[in-house]
Amino acid sequence: MNMRRLPLLIACIALLAGLAACGGHGQLEKAVRSVLVNGDTTRAAYDSLCSLVTDNPGKYSDLLTPEGRVDHKKMAEFIENIGSHLRPPMHWDTRPYGGVDDLSLTVYFERSGSMVPYDQRGGGGQLKKAVNDLINHFPAGSKVDINIVNDGIYPYQHTVDEFLKDRDIYQSTAGMGDASYTDFQLIFDKILEAQRPGNVSVLVSDLIYSPKDTHGVSLDKIFNEENSLATRVFAKYKGKSVVVQQFMGDYSGKYYPYNGEPFNYSGKRPFYLVIIADSDVMDQLAQDKRYNGVLDASGMRNSYRFNQGVSTVDCRVLPEWKDNAGRFRVKHGDGIVLAKCEGDRQTGKLCFSLAANLGSLLKDDALLTNAANYDVQSVDGYTLTVQPIEQSMLTANNKEYLEGMTHLLTLTGDCKSPRDEVRISLRNELPAWVHQSSSDNDASASGSFSTTTLGLEQLLGGMFDAMKGGKSFFDVTIQLQR
Amino acid sequence: MKHLTYLIIGIVVTVVFFILSCSDGFNIWEQLYFNQGYNDKMYNLSMYPVIAAITILVAWGGAAIYYYAINSVKFDRWYHWLAVLGVVAVLAPVVCYIYNDTVFAENGLMYVGESIQFEMQTVLFAALLYIVASFSMRWWSSNCRHTPLPQ
Repeated sequence: MNMRRLPLLIACIALLAGLAACGGHGQLEKAVRSVLVNGDTTRAAYDSLCSLVTDNPGKYSDLLTPEGRVDHKKMAEFIENIGSHLRPPMHWDTRPYGGVDDLSLTVYFERSGSMVPYDQRGGGGQLKKAVNDLINHFPAGSKVDINIVNDGIYPYQHTVDEFLKDRDIYQSTAGMGDASYTDFQLIFDKILEAQRPGNVSVLVSDLIYSPKDTHGVSLDKIFNEENSLATRVFAKYKGKSVVVQQFMGDYSGKYYPYNGEPFNYSGKRPFYLVIIADSDVMDQLAQDKRYNGVLDASGMRNSYRFNQGVSTVDCRVLPEWKDNAGRFRVKHGDGIVLAKCEGDRQTGKLCFSLAANLGSLLKDDALLTNAANYDVQSVDGYTLTVQPIEQSMLTANNKEYLEGMTHLLTLTGDCKSPRDEVRISLRNELPAWVHQSSSDNDASASGSFSTTTLGLEQLLGGMFDAMKGGKSFFDVTIQLQR
Repeated sequence: MKHLTYLIIGIVVTVVFFILSCSDGFNIWEQLYFNQGYNDKMYNLSMYPVIAAITILVAWGGAAIYYYAINSVKFDRWYHWLAVLGVVAVLAPVVCYIYNDTVFAENGLMYVGESIQFEMQTVLFAALLYIVASFSMRWWSSNCRHTPLPQ
């Protein structure tokens, strides 16, 4: 061998070895990175990644089952591993695409005396539309059961298609159970007891507690009973999550007040969909695009998610943002750490923004965007503003940070301390709309009758007490280093 | 043995440069120029290893061409060697910039100003690696082994 060629030969071998050791990203890894960086987290993108695996069974045998099919669990781990090493770390919930069974739906349709006027032939039919939409937002082929509830739970005797077409649901279910009262304790208990993994149960109701034999019982006593029964029932079943959605519907007919004579009322009245599922199923409902429209139903006026435990919120610091002031460098690794922080040269203020995905909390925007609902603790007195992320804010360069996020949390403070720790938490409180939608007198149709529900605050307050996991819905801590 | 030691040191320096180019924690490309959004994209799109590989190949390739292809007594003066260094220091950032621009364009990103500033580093790294490569391989050149400094 010519000795003069030796250095080149050795150099080439060493460089190739270096390349193989450090830069050997496979085709699949490159494709996953591209999908995550471009925010193309769709079923089509996932299918193309799976095709890449199945087309190269020798190369990606560890991602295949013995039968040669894609092992979706391992695929999810592979994607998660790559995503967690990106800047900022990214997560892609591929469960919906990975051969997960469709969720089943069980509808519990309240048939009490005060519910019948919601579905009169001359009305707008908002109640029926809300239920029909709910059923239709589940993928075709999902198992759907319908029950009628009042003093007990009775199976609907017709098919789902017949239910959807039914123009007078209360007429076709006449005679089922005792419509003079609604036993929420029994209903919630039965719903929770009957619920199986992967099931979503929805109670369609006006949420007016009307138990049996209340003659001469004070309203305060009824409210206390309502509050404690809600707490007792929901506290029994751990790991559940409940979403209450408020709608407005045309009401035309007799209203039965707690105290006083029944009277005729024509106008708007609130009604509710109470969605009950295991917490992980509720998370899936919130994230899986196949169930779009279930938790963000059209026509919904307010909603609130009762949850057990503090949620984890995905946050990314925006390195380039119009509101940023001063300088900082995001450290990569566990937690959010801003190093080399410097205040603005003129004002001395440091201002930075975090893009956060608050969607999974399923709280209404009024609650999420009101900074007064947050606690912010820091040495340098950082203040917080919250604004929703709009599509127009996205550019090619910031898409990576804003894609999949719902709100911008902007913090401003004096950059004086050598080290600071900013803690943000969203206080766990019932939203204002619950109090505003609740009344303690329904004897007449005057005042706020059209927008309030008797004892709503007591009922939802009882559920809140049962499911209150902690003092906050989520906590975020940002370490600042000069 | 002394010459072989130079070669080994040169290879080690080059491999260390490559490893530091792939690193997340201490990345050599983020020490002289840092723009969070731009650098994060470079990292996420796995561009650092390719940029490093281009720089290494151009630098070592330039040195190899000078010492083994040109390898002539007509071109054995220090300024001939310096001219090749100049070519390497221009070629490497240009190729890297074209690569950067292509990948960013594929992903719908626009970082013209940042890329130009970033590639100023490539001028420096390519020149340094060319010197390292020169001192690693010059000893076996029949006509240029005394360039740029006498043996």
